[in-house]
Amino acid sequence: MSDTTVIAGSAPRSFRRFIERFPFLPALVILVVLLALNGLFEPNSLSYRAIRGLISTYLALILLSVAQTYVIYAADLDLSVGAILSLVNVGIIMLMQHLGGSPGGVLLACGAGILIGLACGIVNGIVVAVLRLQAIVATFATSILFTGLALYVLPVAGTPAPTVYWRTYGGTFFGFPFVFYVAVAIAIVLFLIARTRLITQLLSVGDDQQAAYQTGLPVTLIRLKGYALCGVFAALAALCVTGDTASGDPLVGGEMTLNSVAAVVLGGTALSGGVGSVTGSVFGALIIGLISSLVFFVGTPSEWQNLVQGLAILLALMVGVLVGRRAKS
Amino acid sequence: MSKLQLRGVRKAYGATVALRRGDMKLDRGEVHVLIGSNGSGKSTLCKIVAGSVRPDGGEVLIDGRSVEFSGPNDARKAGIGIFYQELSLAAHRTVAENICLAALPVSGGVFVDRAKVAETARRYADLFAEVAGTGFSLDATVESLRADQRQLVEIMKTLATEAPILIFDEPTSALDRAQVDCFFGILRRLKEEGRSIIFISHRMDEIFAIGDRVTVMRDGETIETDRIADTDHDAIIRRMVGEKGELAPPAEAANDAASGGGQVILKVEGFSGPGFSNIGFEVTEGEIVGFGGLHGQGQSAVLRALFGATPGNSGSVVLDGRSMSAARPRAAIREGFAYISGDRGRDGAIAGRPILENVTPIHFLKNRLALARPSHLRNKALPALEALKTKYAGLASSINSLSGGNQQKVIIARWLIDRPAVLLLDDPTKGIDLQTKTDLFALIRELAAEGMAIVLYSSEDAELLNNADRILVFNSGAIARELTGSDRTRYNLYHAAYEAA
Repeated sequence: MSDTTVIAGSAPRSFRRFIERFPFLPALVILVVLLALNGLFEPNSLSYRAIRGLISTYLALILLSVAQTYVIYAADLDLSVGAILSLVNVGIIMLMQHLGGSPGGVLLACGAGILIGLACGIVNGIVVAVLRLQAIVATFATSILFTGLALYVLPVAGTPAPTVYWRTYGGTFFGFPFVFYVAVAIAIVLFLIARTRLITQLLSVGDDQQAAYQTGLPVTLIRLKGYALCGVFAALAALCVTGDTASGDPLVGGEMTLNSVAAVVLGGTALSGGVGSVTGSVFGALIIGLISSLVFFVGTPSEWQNLVQGLAILLALMVGVLVGRRAKS
Repeated sequence: MSKLQLRGVRKAYGATVALRRGDMKLDRGEVHVLIGSNGSGKSTLCKIVAGSVRPDGGEVLIDGRSVEFSGPNDARKAGIGIFYQELSLAAHRTVAENICLAALPVSGGVFVDRAKVAETARRYADLFAEVAGTGFSLDATVESLRADQRQLVEIMKTLATEAPILIFDEPTSALDRAQVDCFFGILRRLKEEGRSIIFISHRMDEIFAIGDRVTVMRDGETIETDRIADTDHDAIIRRMVGEKGELAPPAEAANDAASGGGQVILKVEGFSGPGFSNIGFEVTEGEIVGFGGLHGQGQSAVLRALFGATPGNSGSVVLDGRSMSAARPRAAIREGFAYISGDRGRDGAIAGRPILENVTPIHFLKNRLALARPSHLRNKALPALEALKTKYAGLASSINSLSGGNQQKVIIARWLIDRPAVLLLDDPTKGIDLQTKTDLFALIRELAAEGMAIVLYSSEDAELLNNADRILVFNSGAIARELTGSDRTRYNLYHAAYEAA
């Protein structure tokens, strides 16, 4: 009698352990399926060129989803990541224009862009962690603030980026596209960040804020650092967007905010905090990207594209979330 | 000079005084036991020492120097390690990470030094290697552990602070005999090293096994400190009871119904579920049956299970002669159960909504109403609110605008429009004022007199003693003793509750 119950209980347990260790697995499976479907409907979509295009287009969303992941680790949320991206985008465009298109000026502008992102992240951290406003509402408010600043800096979209900037981003060095180097560099950075004490602390705060406080962790400072990190990655996303679009647009990031949240959830990270992985978020962002291209490749009439895309994302969410939930129960 | 000394420390939350006056001295190399009934202020006192609660007044001295902590981090640096009764673990982190969480070892300034984490955690986990049980490993997530194993992790985490002052707030409540023995062995070694330990437990045998001195707390005050060798069980219980022990009069009005042997309304047999096992009792028409005992011995779990709020129960529940098993609250409500919890935020108030909406949901459910007709609902709601002398500005104002006591009245009123057969009260007076309590119990007695069967769990012993016809004392998820008639005294209640499990 007791033997049968043990066996009945142990089969899903190994599955559960597996999912627990690799929460991004369902996302990876969905990603592979989408790649296959893309290849089926448009064989060219799996070509070297197409993959390169995919990466250079979606690198920004990937970085933005990573940014979002760090705050969601601590059960916070940042609805201003898109606005930070926009602000940094127009900020560096204007700076590059002022400093001239020289490589030195471009690098200086990029550095300033990252500082802008950091500053925005710290502002979010102060309103949410220090002043203890509701994360959703507070970052929604700061998103309007940042968008307002972006519109002040560049009221209309269109100022072009210096040639050296987008040529580099779209260029090829030593036989490999620049974006591949960027992707590898980002992978290394993410790997290193995942090992920092801050990440463990963010996840612990997300697990149970009261417990973390009682343990003696500086909860406010940890959450603040999470937002700061988020701001920096939103700025990095802006550098990619600028390379991809080669121009400034004060509203470019608006739509990307909720995509970043969806990507994080698709990647198996819990909005309630405490569990997740940036790897999952990267996959999540790619899933969203591949869904839009798949919708295009299957030849959906343009007026139906949004609807089909919405349904597809919903489906992906259901598959991912249901698998995760089954593993937990 | 004492290692730690408290002088007149006090703390109040709004009108509720959690700690009226805390005075104690903790010597080097002693295990100092704190004992007192539910809500006597033990945990508050510990949290003040540990810096997670800021006192309203009084003084905390370490090595004779007055200290003031701005948070748990300060207290940790000052050499205080604490085991929290409710645990302070991160569920999705591993055992090793949790043990080291307060001061994660780093390499290169920012990276977690995993080897060091594993090594440190191993040192403390090895102390319990023999008794930790299957499934326990350093890289298991805390979430996947059993309750006793989680408690062991919290113990290891406390030990890992290597603090000279260690506080253990009910560290043994889920541990088995072997685990407790192992833990006590460690405590004795720490004592020999000269560490000072505050220890809270409700198990009398443990207190005598490990304690050097004992301080009894009652109603938020530290009453007296004795050497364990100079005292015994009865003396401690008498001190916990205080003079009120003789003054608590069993409710006389209620006595008749109890002995009357009226018709059985609710009959529970062999009822088991998470947190309780093999519970059996009957409630007759007009009877108030009290659930007593220490906090969290299964009383709430039984009530919630009867109401269908928690799954996974077995056993027989017979209501009015009909066998039933409520799988969810909606079914239980239709069958005639009512459940009122002291945790209004979780189980009662529909936050931010008008009073009218808060009074009428049960009426809606029971009558399967589809449309809200305000004038009709108003006529239903007003008498129910009136019966409880509820104070409110208007039916349209939000429930949040009311005091805790009046909120609770609104929630009780929702059950009065269509009368249930059985009323389950789960510590209903938590955090409400004295006047409301009086009103509430007057109403409960009235409802009983009208024939309703009532089950009352209260963490305040006086409420039980004054209102229940019979008291079932819970201990570790089972009914340990039944107190009827003149046996219903505070002394007997404590005696049964603090009996070794």
